[in-house]
Amino acid sequence: MRVFIAILVGALGVASMTVAAGPPPAGSLRGRVDVRRNITPTERRPDVNDLRAAGGRELPDRRRAVVYLETAPGGAFEEREGQRARMDQRNETFIPHVLAITAGTVVDFPNNDGTYHNVFSLSKPKRFDLGRYARGRSKSVRFDRPGIIRVFCDIHSHMSAFILVFSHRYFATTDAEGRYRIDRIPSGTYSVVAWQDGANRDTRTVTIPESGSVELDFVVQ
Amino acid sequence: MNLRAAFLLLAWCSGTSAAVGQSLPSEPVTFGGGRVVIGGDAAASIAPADTGFFNYSDYEHSTLRQIRFGVSGSVRANDRLSVLGEVRVDNLRDVTPFALYARVRPFPSRRLDIQIGRIPPTFGSFARHAYSNDNPLIGYPLAYQYLTSLRADSVPRNADELLFMRGRGWLSNFSVGNRAPDRGLPLVTAFSWDTGVQVTTGWRSLDVTGAVTNGSLSNPRVSDDNSGKQIIGRVTLTPVVGLVLGGSAARGQYAERSLIDALPASPDRRFIQRAFGADLEYSRDHWMVRADTVMSEWRIPAAGAPVIDRPLRAVAVSVEGRYAFLPGVYAAARGEHLAFNRIVGTARVAEWDAPVSRVEVGGGYYLQRNVVARMSVQFNHRDGGLVHNLVLPAVQILYWF
Repeated sequence: MRVFIAILVGALGVASMTVAAGPPPAGSLRGRVDVRRNITPTERRPDVNDLRAAGGRELPDRRRAVVYLETAPGGAFEEREGQRARMDQRNETFIPHVLAITAGTVVDFPNNDGTYHNVFSLSKPKRFDLGRYARGRSKSVRFDRPGIIRVFCDIHSHMSAFILVFSHRYFATTDAEGRYRIDRIPSGTYSVVAWQDGANRDTRTVTIPESGSVELDFVVQ
Repeated sequence: MNLRAAFLLLAWCSGTSAAVGQSLPSEPVTFGGGRVVIGGDAAASIAPADTGFFNYSDYEHSTLRQIRFGVSGSVRANDRLSVLGEVRVDNLRDVTPFALYARVRPFPSRRLDIQIGRIPPTFGSFARHAYSNDNPLIGYPLAYQYLTSLRADSVPRNADELLFMRGRGWLSNFSVGNRAPDRGLPLVTAFSWDTGVQVTTGWRSLDVTGAVTNGSLSNPRVSDDNSGKQIIGRVTLTPVVGLVLGGSAARGQYAERSLIDALPASPDRRFIQRAFGADLEYSRDHWMVRADTVMSEWRIPAAGAPVIDRPLRAVAVSVEGRYAFLPGVYAAARGEHLAFNRIVGTARVAEWDAPVSRVEVGGGYYLQRNVVARMSVQFNHRDGGLVHNLVLPAVQILYWF
């Protein structure tokens, strides 16, 4: 929700800007997000009524963060492209656990497990229910409104993921070491947010030069 | 039943959920790096008084009018051993240690599990659907809830006495054994678990479970007081993803020791319950359909004339469906019938208990992923008892983590 509000604020700000002729000077933003909070994988609910133990599953990588510009530069909201992204269902886990996309992207949800999955979301930016489908099949959803969408499986309560939908392209997901990089940012001063696993944020202000890159590290407690 | 407390809980849950979106915790609590996992659920159901006692699970307790809290936990010692348990609180007063057992997997890479203690029911599929959002309606299927007039601690002296109790399973009494009025037995109870040993193995799409327990399907027990163990088996087959076929069988002694001792010494003091069940579940896209049938047979020792000269049988058939027509919104319906075999009394030949039919239709709306508000209407009909027809609307709010 905060992302949605931030992007709305950004959009209002941009609406009043004058779009300069020709490509503006641009730099890069890179750095690292240090997640210091203790993160435990989501466990299954105790399967007290089952006749046998559940099988093993892949644990989601919940340390991934998304870094994004809270206020976007001029013209950012006009750079829309029809893109596709993918969120797998494998070993009773959504992979990736966090997916950042631009508005208008179509996300495919293939099932790679031997059991049914039922992907759904009740989040306000996009409510959907793909129903039950088996291995080898895939269904897709187009995300048009910016915001945070929590994705679940109706059959496996331990399966959850996040999709962050942005109105601009100035965002990046951290790699396994927590590093990120956002390129081609027009020069200027911006508010930058590191978001991790729902409610954890760290916000900084940065000035992007006309060329070259700026290092900016975050700490998420 | 504390209706005011149920209403307050219902109002709080719905108000909170609507206000905060997906913010009530939805994940179980974990400790020790995931070795200890605690889950829970809370449900408040409100309905008018069930004057026909169609939904009573025991004395003064309707499943449509209750507040229920459940806390379940698992402690994983290693890949081979876990301990699981659950405690339930009904109507803010009845605390029940529902389950407590050890789960042993001797060979971690093989599908062989041994469960010892107060174990989950082997028979049928409903025990796996009774939780949180797995039961699409508020009511329970007749086979697992409806009380017949038969008792575990008393028996009718003859067929006339049994026929006199038709449709009064919520409070029946007989002249042999405990003569005080009390609740009767369901075909299979969903409200208490048996104690024993359970072994499950499987190969490809086939799962096989066998168990030996102290009680019976109708009357589960913590300790064995009648020297009669129950043997249960269940087989499930999943030929294709989404289709599950199940078959169950059980045989055990259901009478309590006090009743057996009250009978005159004779070689025939066996109170055997035998049951067979078949179930099916098929789901695809936004549909889910289940069918379940249970045939139970109780054997009563012959006593006075007119003699009950055959086992008392009951057959319950249930079909239910669920369809999610919008994200977070679904409709559901269940139709079922419970029939009994006929016995010969002095003045009439009739079913030994009054047949019951029930249709329940309803739906649910997910306020968030793990908070659902449900509404249903139940149409009950019984060929006997004080109330023959009863329509019961009900609402429920349910939260789990």
